[in-house]
Amino acid sequence: MLKIRQLQKKKLEEAAASAAATADITGNSSTISSNNKITPAQLRLQKDITELDIPKSIKLTFPNSSDLFNFNLSITPQQGYYKLGTFQFTVEINGNFPMDPPRIKCSNKIYHPNIDLSGNVCLNILREDWSPVLNLNSVLIGLNFLFLEPNPNDPLNKDAANVLVKNKTLFAKNVRDSMRGGYVDQEYYDRIV
Amino acid sequence: MKVNIVDWHGVATWHWKLASNDGKAGYVDELCGICRVPFDGTCPNCKFPGDDCPLVLGRGCIHNFHVHCILKWLEQEASKGLCPMCRQVFVHDPEDNPHSEEFEYLQQLEDGHRLLREKGETTYEE
Ligand SMILES: [Zn+2]
Ligand SMILES: [Zn+2]
Ligand SMILES: [Zn+2]
Repeated sequence: MLKIRQLQKKKLEEAAASAAATADITGNSSTISSNNKITPAQLRLQKDITELDIPKSIKLTFPNSSDLFNFNLSITPQQGYYKLGTFQFTVEINGNFPMDPPRIKCSNKIYHPNIDLSGNVCLNILREDWSPVLNLNSVLIGLNFLFLEPNPNDPLNKDAANVLVKNKTLFAKNVRDSMRGGYVDQEYYDRIV
Repeated sequence: MKVNIVDWHGVATWHWKLASNDGKAGYVDELCGICRVPFDGTCPNCKFPGDDCPLVLGRGCIHNFHVHCILKWLEQEASKGLCPMCRQVFVHDPEDNPHSEEFEYLQQLEDGHRLLREKGETTYEE
């Protein structure tokens, strides 16, 4: 049963050795190598970015135009509880993409059943249901959907999830109050309207 | 009129036989779901299409991949040994696939995941 781990370990060691060798030659080990060699992750990510077909409510910004692996994302829902708030996220994609899912974190402290107070997002396709045939588009659509239909099952913010299940009017009020920047149940939330 | 052939060039094309168009004539332009490169091209780690970068034909399902692409996925424990397209357990048919290092390694990974499943070390949904 340890076969996989052993094989993987061997592979990782080889990868580390070759990465170290490259780092020695180029003097750095950044994801975009200086000798113009495009990595598989880069190749796939470029395709994903060119094929993006996302609603207007989602905007991507690349703080460093030569780095496709790290960018920012903002979502401005046009309907639902979170209508017209603007939520900022950071997206971090590693060199093992698409074997590893993108890592997405909310930069605002928000009141949402599926996002905890540190900005961690609970979205199945970013975790246990990730598959390399999913692309950036499906991830962004999934994230957008969390704001249209917050999901009280499998919550990260249990208090918010409980309120959503028990009292939808109170949930809507809490969301509005939190989006204006203020306290909900002794917790301070960022202003995002 | 008499024609003398002084020179001629033979031209041939090839395509992979895919599980999904097996038995059907003609060519279906399909992409490897993992790297999104056409099957007749190579995976991102290879230079030459063809025998250097073979396809694997799934047996449990009808999904094809560059063997190098599915290997990378099955190396991940998170893959749970499942097909990335349909999430059924991924198995290839040794009868239908060439004997080579890659396919031996694929078999090892499939077996590894099967053992993990049997030991119930990870939770698998069926
Ligand atoms: Zn491929
Ligand atoms: Zn290959
Ligand atoms: Zn399949």
